Order: sequence, then structure tokens, then C-alpha cells
Amino acid sequence: MTEAPVIATPGPAPAPGPRRGARWLAVLLVATIAVGGYLWVTTVRWQHNAEQWEQKARAYAEEVASLRMQLDAAGTELQAARDQLRTATARITDLANEKAQLGDENVASQQVLDYQTQVSAAAGTVASALGQCVSGQEQLVGYLKEADQYRADDLRRYEDEVNALCDEAEQANEALQQELRP
Amino acid sequence: MRRSGRALLALGLAVGLPAGALSGCGVLPPLPEPVPSDVVPTAPPVALSPAAGGDALSPDGFDAVERMAVRIRNVGCEELSTGSGFAIDDHTLITNKHVVADSRDLEVSTYDGHDIQVGATATAALADLAVVRTTDPLPSYPELAETDPGPGDPVTVVGYPAGGELTVTEGRVMGSTRDPLNANLGEVLLTDAPVEPGSSGSAALDDKGRVIGVVYAKTADDNSLLVPLSTLQDVLADDTAFTPAKGC
Repeated sequence: MTEAPVIATPGPAPAPGPRRGARWLAVLLVATIAVGGYLWVTTVRWQHNAEQWEQKARAYAEEVASLRMQLDAAGTELQAARDQLRTATARITDLANEKAQLGDENVASQQVLDYQTQVSAAAGTVASALGQCVSGQEQLVGYLKEADQYRADDLRRYEDEVNALCDEAEQANEALQQELRP
Repeated sequence: MRRSGRALLALGLAVGLPAGALSGCGVLPPLPEPVPSDVVPTAPPVALSPAAGGDALSPDGFDAVERMAVRIRNVGCEELSTGSGFAIDDHTLITNKHVVADSRDLEVSTYDGHDIQVGATATAALADLAVVRTTDPLPSYPELAETDPGPGDPVTVVGYPAGGELTVTEGRVMGSTRDPLNANLGEVLLTDAPVEPGSSGSAALDDKGRVIGVVYAKTADDNSLLVPLSTLQDVLADDTAFTPAKGC
């Protein structure tokens, strides 16, 4: 038996549609996986980034809280220092005024002292003049008791001199009394 | 081989292109920037600069208006009187002529009680003004204003009323008037700032602390009279305006 040669006749080509669609589907799947992977990486990175920012924010918040406390303390100290400065300046002003008043009193006292010294000196001079007047008058009385022993014109001249001396003493005394009168 | 290469290319494009393109277009969020190690600004805010307002600080807590005022004790041959004055430079005081009149000795002290050694004294013929030169430096002095003040302008008087404490009083300029005491040539300023005997020679200042006049008298209705700034400037500019003061 002889077998008839088999002639293979090419069949119809398979339709490309389903396989190409599957390929594109695969590509789409891979792309989706890629995008998903990118989103996952991004999310992880942002989470890490957010954690770092939060840590930094908390560190700064602690620093702010600490600085606020220091600021409050410094503000309190500043207010206390201002109060002390105000008190000190008021005290300086008081002391300057007290010094000025004492200086005024000192000068005024010195002026009174100078005046009293002048008055005392004038009183001494007046007393001396009055004393000379009294001495002169006593001398004159003595001369008059023994008038026959002296020349009349000499006695008159001496009397005039004593009277002039006493007039001057009286005027000085009057001026002094007037000066002392309140 | 050709098919596997094509597949790899497709896979690469499928992985790289969508993410890159979508991220670049803003559809997908970009990757975060690295967190900086320090976010504190290097330059301090301008408003918090330590130097801001430093000019207004006083070295000892006293205002500039207080630091430039002086108390003048006029020791006459028979009596004692006090007045006020103010510095216009390191060694020059301005006061009233009647404050330094008939003087045997002038004793000047500052806001904090320091005594200032006095040199020559000169008085103006046509105004109740006097210039006292000091050998010791004066602690502070103000600027002179540019023009005389107008009615309603604020005025601050700093001096030693009744020879007492350094006092700062405030008021307003009421206007100008003829000098009722005939001590000054020209018009003088009338203000309602309270003054007392002893305030004579006090500086009258504007709201910027500049000199606008010199107190020289008080009226019967408790207003104050000032030698205006223009008169002060005129006599200061005239070399012949001042003559040495005569003692008692």
C-alpha cells in the first residue's frame, strides 16, 4: 500500500485581534503597575518627608515655648529694671534738689553771718565811739571842776571837740539802731 | 529574539513613559524635595533690629529735656536768688539777664546735682537774655527750632520753679504780644504753660524737643511769657548784642 503523499496546505492565518489586544492589555497592566509603583514610592517619600517636617516643627515649637518663657522672664526683669531706674532717677532728682536747697541755705546763712559780722563790727565801733564820748565828757567835767586852772577858750574848744565826738557817736548809734530795727 | 526585544521595549515604555509623562504634566504628584537641615532665616527681621530706636535711649534714665536744664544760683552781694537755664552747646548756657544780674558769684548745677564751673557771663542789651560760658562740659543740649511757634502749638517748659525740683510742665502757645515788662525789643510769646519765679531762663521746647523760646516772666493770670526763638537767634547771631555782665 502506497501512501499518498500528503500535501500540507496552509490553513487560514489566525486572526490577529485577540492576541494584539492581549498584548496591549499586558502593556496597560504593566503601565498601571508602573504608575502604581511610582505613586507608592511618592507616597512613601512624602510620608517620610512629612515626618521629618513634623519632627522639625515640634523641635521649633519646643524652642518657641522655651524662648517665650525666656522672653516673659526677660520682660519681667526689664519691667523690674525700669521700675528700679524710675526709682533711682526720682531719688537722684530728690538728692539733687536737697543738695541745691542745702547750698541755698548755706549761702543764705553765710550772707546772714557776713551781715551779722558787719553789724557786730559796726556795734563795736559805735560802742567805742560812745565810750570815747563818755571819756571825753568825763574829762571835760574834770576840767570844768578846775576851770580856773585852764584858759576859757581852751575849755570851749575841748568842749566843742567832745560834743562833735559825741554827736558822731550818737549818729552812728542811731544808724546802728535803725539797721537793727526789724 | 526580535519578539522578546520588542516586548522589552514595550515594557520599558510602559513603565517609564506613563509615570514620567504624567508626573511631568502635573497629573501625578512629584517626589518631595529633601527637608532642609535649618529653616531659620539668617537675617533678623528689620523691625526687631536692636539698633531700632537706640537714639532715644538715655545713658542714665533721664530724658534729654531734663539733661540739658541747669539750675542757676545767683549769689548777690546782699541777697540770694535762683533761676533756670539750658545748654545750647557743650560749654554755653542760655538764661535770662535778670537771673544773672547783680551777681557776685554764679553757681550752676545739673539735673543730677553736679556742679558746673562757670566762666564768663554776658547779657544782651535788647532782650532779657544772657549767655553763660562754662569751663566744665554740659551733659546735653537741644537743637533750636527753625521758626517761631504759632498759636495752638504745644510747648514744654523744663526748669526749676521756685528753686525747687527739676520740673517739666506743658501747655500751648496762645499767641504773641507786646512785652508788658518792656524787657525785650519786639513781640514776645504768650503760653499757658505754668511757670513760677525761678523758672526764668527755662527752655521752652516744641513737641520735637527743639527750643522755641526762653521763659522770662509770668503774667498775673498765670500765663507765661517767652522770649521767642527768633529774638534768641538774632542776638546770638549778633556779635555785639552781648556785653560782659556787671557784678554787684
